[in-house]
Amino acid sequence: MIEHVTEWLGAYLDGELRGLRLRQVEDHLLECAACHTELEDLRSLSKLLKDTVPAGTLTPTERFVTNLTLNLPRRPEAPQYQKAAEILWRLVPVAVLGAWIFTQTVLAVSTLVSTANLTGLFGNAAAWLQSGPQHTEWFSATLSLFGSNLSGNARALLDVLDDLSIFRLSFTTQLAWQAVIGVLYWIWLAVWWNRRRTITNPYFS
Amino acid sequence: MLATLSVETETGLVSKAQQGDRSAFGELVRHYHPVVVNVVYRMCGDVQLAEDAAQEAFLRAWLHLASYRPQSSLRNWLYRIAVNAAMDALRNERGTPGDLESVTAADQHPGPEAELYHRERARQVQRAVLSLSESNRAVLVLREYGDLSYQEIAAALEIPVGTVMSRLSYARNHLRGLLADLEKDYD
Repeated sequence: MIEHVTEWLGAYLDGELRGLRLRQVEDHLLECAACHTELEDLRSLSKLLKDTVPAGTLTPTERFVTNLTLNLPRRPEAPQYQKAAEILWRLVPVAVLGAWIFTQTVLAVSTLVSTANLTGLFGNAAAWLQSGPQHTEWFSATLSLFGSNLSGNARALLDVLDDLSIFRLSFTTQLAWQAVIGVLYWIWLAVWWNRRRTITNPYFS
Repeated sequence: MLATLSVETETGLVSKAQQGDRSAFGELVRHYHPVVVNVVYRMCGDVQLAEDAAQEAFLRAWLHLASYRPQSSLRNWLYRIAVNAAMDALRNERGTPGDLESVTAADQHPGPEAELYHRERARQVQRAVLSLSESNRAVLVLREYGDLSYQEIAAALEIPVGTVMSRLSYARNHLRGLLADLEKDYD
């Protein structure tokens, strides 16, 4: 029994079929007179619709443009604080991404330092890792590497991060931070999508 | 057929218009008016209504140009606004029949009989298009007169591509039923 492709003929006519479906329809049309006729009917309908044009009673483009540009209302300008808020809003994903890269880097460095220490790669140089149990390994490593070159502000920032114990080498903590960052990002994405739908649909009755 | 406006030129004009340059916006309107008014006319079936809806569509575009992102097609964005403006115009004019007298065929120098025939044919076509529901008509008009792809229609009307296909299929079958005789003559 021949399986007709009637339901796909419209899409075929519109050039919307691809791949296997396209080949299936093309092959079928070669051997099925009924579908071929159906396709020609659809083609005729399309031509009939397009060939029926309005009479020349529509305002010519030039006059339309002149009338329109003369009557364009003044566009309300967004207040400064709104513009600033918009810029900040756009920076949120950048900040979230930065936070994610930061935690990932810290995790990688922590793991590296910890592994190197455990395998004795650091030798005596790793003595500092045991010297300050009150500090995180990440903090100690950074201090050891850049201690003398760190500015006052950078050192203060490191102290804060160390005090917060955010970046202790704990898989669960890291996972929790990444989850928080992920959730923040998805919330931003959801709000952005919702705003986009409202803003870009100028369906203003 | 719409003459091509280079991407750079269009982007430049949009950028200027977004900053309030009326003449840049005028250039964009000059370019897109013929296609937009055609789509709106097919939605409304009435010249005066179509004129008003087209004007309204471009005014909305002007007022909300800041929300337009050049990554998407300006033509499709305008179509979307135009279809909505046409639907609004129709709702406001509910009950008013289309100005079917204003429809005619494309023949340049038809004789009196041929002119009568073409006028009647055009009237039937437009009446058939107007007999579609607004949602089905919008899909058909954007496909046949706006020349949008299914994906673009789906984006413009905020409906799934599958819905575009089914509405288009329904609309075409409906029109074929109403215009069967004309189609035969037209082959």
